[in-house]
Amino acid sequence: MLVVGEAFNIGDALFYAVLFIILMWLVKIVAWKPVTKMMQDRSDKIANDIDTAEKSRTEALELAKQRKEALVNSQAEANEIISKAQQTGDKRRESIINDANLDAKTIKENAEKDIAQQKRDALASTKDDVADLSIEIASKIIQKNLDANDQKTLIDSYIKGLDSHESN
Amino acid sequence: MDQTRTFQFCGLTFNVGNMISGLIVAAIVLGFVYFCSRKIQMKPTGKQNLLEYMIDFTNGIVKSTMPSGATKDYGLWAFTLFFFILVSNQLGLFLHIEVGGIVYVKSPTADPIVAMSFALMSMLIAQFSSVQKLGYKGHFETYLQPIPYLLPINLMEEFTNFLTLGIRVYGNIFAGELLAGLIAKMAFSHGIATLAISAPLEMAWMAFSVFIGCIQAYVFVTLSCVYVSQKLSIEE
Repeated sequence: MLVVGEAFNIGDALFYAVLFIILMWLVKIVAWKPVTKMMQDRSDKIANDIDTAEKSRTEALELAKQRKEALVNSQAEANEIISKAQQTGDKRRESIINDANLDAKTIKENAEKDIAQQKRDALASTKDDVADLSIEIASKIIQKNLDANDQKTLIDSYIKGLDSHESN
Repeated sequence: MDQTRTFQFCGLTFNVGNMISGLIVAAIVLGFVYFCSRKIQMKPTGKQNLLEYMIDFTNGIVKSTMPSGATKDYGLWAFTLFFFILVSNQLGLFLHIEVGGIVYVKSPTADPIVAMSFALMSMLIAQFSSVQKLGYKGHFETYLQPIPYLLPINLMEEFTNFLTLGIRVYGNIFAGELLAGLIAKMAFSHGIATLAISAPLEMAWMAFSVFIGCIQAYVFVTLSCVYVSQKLSIEE
């Protein structure tokens, strides 16, 4: 009943071996290859997605950091610009004041020079007038025409004496 | 044993019942994977999920027994073997065709020839893997390990592995079908009374047989993988 050897047909064994091999081949073509390939692709894709997510996260962090830095930098720059502007303003103001002072000084000096010159001119003309007058007066008094040129030298020396007398 | 119809071809004996059953099983397995593997997508839907789960399951058997990296080489074999044995174990429970006392369709694995054929296939694959890894000289030297006079023991182990692997699945499935047949005979022996008793009994036994069939298919594939990995993991 349960004797194995009694009914062991090599034919059946061969038939099943061939059947199994053919079935395996067909399963491979029909399902195994495409499905395992798809599974592999999927796992690759998931791995890639994880990598890309990680990458984009780090990129976002990097960008945020850069933005922060840029913000800080721009603030510093703005401060710098303002202080620079203030400095240049101060400089300008000082230079303007200096220029004005200088101008005023030169104007004053010129004015003084002019005044001195005018004084000198006025003195010179008075000298002449006084000389003429005194000569006239003298000639009127003496009733005698003096040689005007001779007299002039005399009077000049006299007036020089006056001048030095005045300045002392 | 039931009567069988056999014929001779090229001096070999062929059993018609076994051949028909085997073809039916192969057709079922192939049809199922064909049906499940249409329109494969990156985002799997129901059918594809089922197929992928099954592939993962058999790959898991291979991964848990064999050295790493063997899934690529033995995954397809484990997958086909598991589902062929599984369907073979269940076929006779749902489809048992007898014509004139001759069985034409039953579980192929309820026949010792078929069960032993599969066991022999697994053992041959194990031997082949060993030869592939170590070469013929290295392979036959493994029978002299750890000491030469253990050669007969090693050969005996090889043989008993083959024997137990085949007979385990055959015995379970054969017993399941036998008892199912006996209960069926009892049901129709004394009219309505035995029928009332036998019907729930038969249902319970059928459910148990389905369970046993699944377990046996799993055990068969696991042990086949273990035998192969034993050969693969021999250290020089």
